[in-house]
Amino acid sequence: MNPNMLKYIIKRIILAIFTVWVVITVTFFIMHAVPGGPFTSEKAVSPAVQKAMEAKYGLDKPLMSQYFTYLTDVIQFKFGPSLKQRGRMVIDIIFDGMKTSAKLGVIAAFLALIIGIVLGSFAALLRNSFLDRLIMVITTAFVSMPSFIMGSLLLVAFAIKTHIFPANGAASGGLVLPIITLMLYPMSYITRLTRSSMLDVLGQDYIRTARAKGVSGGRIIFGHALKNALIPVITYFGPMLAYIVTGSLVVEQIFAVPGIGRAYVSSITNRDYTMIMGTTIVLASLIVIMNLVSDILYKVVDPRITLE
Amino acid sequence: MKKKLLAILLSAAMVASLTACGDSAQSGNAPEELAEDIEAAAEEDAAAEEAGDEAAEGDTSAAAGEGLNVCIASEPDTLDPALNSAVDGATMLVHLFSGLAKWEKDGEGFKIVPDAATELPEGVVNDDGTVTYTYTLRDGLKWSDGKDVTAGDFEFAWKRAVSVDLATDYGYMFEIVDGYDEVWDLDDDGNPNNPDAQLNVKALDEKTLEVTLENKVSYWNELLAFPVYFPVREDVVSNESWATDPSTYVCNGPYTMTDWQHNSVITLKKNPDYVDADQITMDQINFYLSDDANNMLTNFKNGDWAMIDDVPTNEIATLKNDYPDNFFVEGQIGTYYVCWNINQKLLPDSSSLKGVEAAKAEAEIRNALSLLFDRNYIVDSIAQGGQVPASSFVAMGLTDADGSEFYKNAGSNSFDGYYDVSADALEANFNSAVETLKKYYTYDEASGKFTDVPTLTYLYNTSDAHKAIAEYLQSAFAAVGITMNLENQEWATFLNTRKEGNYSVARNGWLADYNDPICFLDMWVSGSGNNDVQYGKGDHEKIKAYDLDLTEFGYDTKVEGGTWAETYDVLIADIKSCEDEATRYKLMHKAEDMLMETGCICPLYFYTDLYMVDNSLKGFFSNPLGYKYFMYSTFE
Repeated sequence: MNPNMLKYIIKRIILAIFTVWVVITVTFFIMHAVPGGPFTSEKAVSPAVQKAMEAKYGLDKPLMSQYFTYLTDVIQFKFGPSLKQRGRMVIDIIFDGMKTSAKLGVIAAFLALIIGIVLGSFAALLRNSFLDRLIMVITTAFVSMPSFIMGSLLLVAFAIKTHIFPANGAASGGLVLPIITLMLYPMSYITRLTRSSMLDVLGQDYIRTARAKGVSGGRIIFGHALKNALIPVITYFGPMLAYIVTGSLVVEQIFAVPGIGRAYVSSITNRDYTMIMGTTIVLASLIVIMNLVSDILYKVVDPRITLE
Repeated sequence: MKKKLLAILLSAAMVASLTACGDSAQSGNAPEELAEDIEAAAEEDAAAEEAGDEAAEGDTSAAAGEGLNVCIASEPDTLDPALNSAVDGATMLVHLFSGLAKWEKDGEGFKIVPDAATELPEGVVNDDGTVTYTYTLRDGLKWSDGKDVTAGDFEFAWKRAVSVDLATDYGYMFEIVDGYDEVWDLDDDGNPNNPDAQLNVKALDEKTLEVTLENKVSYWNELLAFPVYFPVREDVVSNESWATDPSTYVCNGPYTMTDWQHNSVITLKKNPDYVDADQITMDQINFYLSDDANNMLTNFKNGDWAMIDDVPTNEIATLKNDYPDNFFVEGQIGTYYVCWNINQKLLPDSSSLKGVEAAKAEAEIRNALSLLFDRNYIVDSIAQGGQVPASSFVAMGLTDADGSEFYKNAGSNSFDGYYDVSADALEANFNSAVETLKKYYTYDEASGKFTDVPTLTYLYNTSDAHKAIAEYLQSAFAAVGITMNLENQEWATFLNTRKEGNYSVARNGWLADYNDPICFLDMWVSGSGNNDVQYGKGDHEKIKAYDLDLTEFGYDTKVEGGTWAETYDVLIADIKSCEDEATRYKLMHKAEDMLMETGCICPLYFYTDLYMVDNSLKGFFSNPLGYKYFMYSTFE
């Protein structure tokens, strides 16, 4: 590896840690500023019990001291116990949710990439044909439709009206609809990205040379053009994962998928402080790492790009 | 090469998961396929057990098909009997544990019968007025790991539930037990003033448990059937996360927990060592975990779930029609009400009334405003869940000293409760309200509207159901010229705002934990954490507007023109220490009279519990607290 690259990676890692720290700090103070606490409930506990609970979890200490205690714990990867699901550790709950969410996210990302690239290539190859126009119309619709509408439509059509798939994400087969919902936007985006960058590449001299030599259309696309046309797609890899992570918050809620997104949303409603922080850190780190990986990949694929 | 392998692996995994999904989605219609699925699931189950947790990952259908599938709520916060504070958690706990007493269906009603105890004896009154109960445990009581259940386990569990270390939500259920107050006497830093204080409960030997109460209470036996009173064993709970994992979950009831797929399903299997195992007819119960009413209904209609404990509000009317034999509405000993901040100024700026006079005038105004609402309309056209229009705060379902409905005896009117909520009385109520309001506000006869009522803001927690009711209340006020703006807040924020008293009018609701009106009354003492009305707080602390005369009941108390703390707080303290049942109930009626007179509590309806049960399921029942009992059920 060249020294420039190494320097760049180290710089980016430091920046990533800084970013996560900022996220931790902002979340921590906003979370404590929001009214209500983890022990707020319709039936209020007596002040003595409230006090004892706060003492038990260190919530009686001054906010700054809680903040530094938390930072010290986080550096050692200690996320503490959940304040709401008593007896369970935050890390276990996150891990549990991750198992489902990762399955959802990885399959959605994988399908989005494969289908998006194939559709995009075909659209470029058959430029201005009916198929091209059809693909463009459909993908435009998907790109402009928010996931909560898409999800609700799919739910009504395939679960409630026709019973093809279960409405409950926890049931077997329940992940199909959430995966489709989550996949459609990045898939459409990738299709359009591939198509336009493919058209750009197809205009290049070396493609013209290939054509002049009589290479078939399919081979030109998949053998020569695709590799270069994929560079913008790779840059989209990071934002796509960010989309999938944030999108899963909504999608998991709609389909009642027992994933981390749903756990995150309910931890906020419950003011489960340790759980909110733990999930925030894990999700923020995931996005930061994915962006880093995507930037490095970008460089690997296209040596013309200089990193600074 | 590496890359390719990964790609193949990924696509293989993808294809496999997709085909797996497809299979089971179709299997609903074909019985043979279903049978195969069950076999496959059972095999997977066995394989999962061998291969450990990782193999079971994501496989939520392992238990489906066998036993009874139900859905009562989403993932419980805890299944530790001491920590649980939710009805759905309690439902699971009554299947997993056996306390000294339990609920039993008795014809159309219910009764409390001994469970782990041989009998539920009367207490013995001691010289100092405390009451001591002695219980003998039945023979053959076993923990699910084979050890004997001893009286010491009860002693330990009860002391643990009230301990400052554990600090549980429902530890206060022991407040009538001698020693509770000493344990919870804390200094300003939250440290106990009496570190050696103990709850007065002792295991005299392996089988005998002795407990002393501060005084006799009528609902004591019912408390013994409450999950917080269930036994736990010291060596089991010393592992803080014992209750989150089936492998460490040791219980003593009709069922054991064999699987907990978090956020997905909890599986209970019949415990063959349970002392009354021969009465338990359902071998396996799968509690599916979801709080999405639409999702529940879909699964119920598909036939996947035989019982669901919630339905979407907008479907209620249709379901009542389409599923007359499956749709159930039960009372829930709770009240939905509008609560006023007692410190909210209601008189017009022109009014010269001050202090006590102003307080009395405002009480009269609030009571008049309560008469403007058509509770039948709210129940029939908005809430639509078979709720009952409420005319008192203490809910329907709570009994009086003589066993009759407490709310029917409330107030001193010819009708039940404090207002006549019958449809016929609507016009008379309206006219009487307008007459009262005319005393304080300017009335424009031509338009039939008041012109100088201060603008109000109604606060509710974000939900379509609450919003619909809020809009109705708004329109009812608007009809007489009163402007009430609506404001909604997210749940925890809302609770906080209401508790702090930063509102003028708010939506409120209360569900009782046990069948005694005191659950609805002691929450309004000045120091209570549930005193959302702000009685005896802020400006109201110094208002000397209340009278209390208890001389006719043999007490010395006689206050004229006292503060809330001098009257209501004293009355509640007297109720709590009152030994005579008849007097105690009379005092409770008196307390409710005081509350209702302030007009700060405006009941709208009594809550109901809506659920659906499949035709094939027999022997299922729900108790008055809303706990669901599946253990005696069978399929037909």
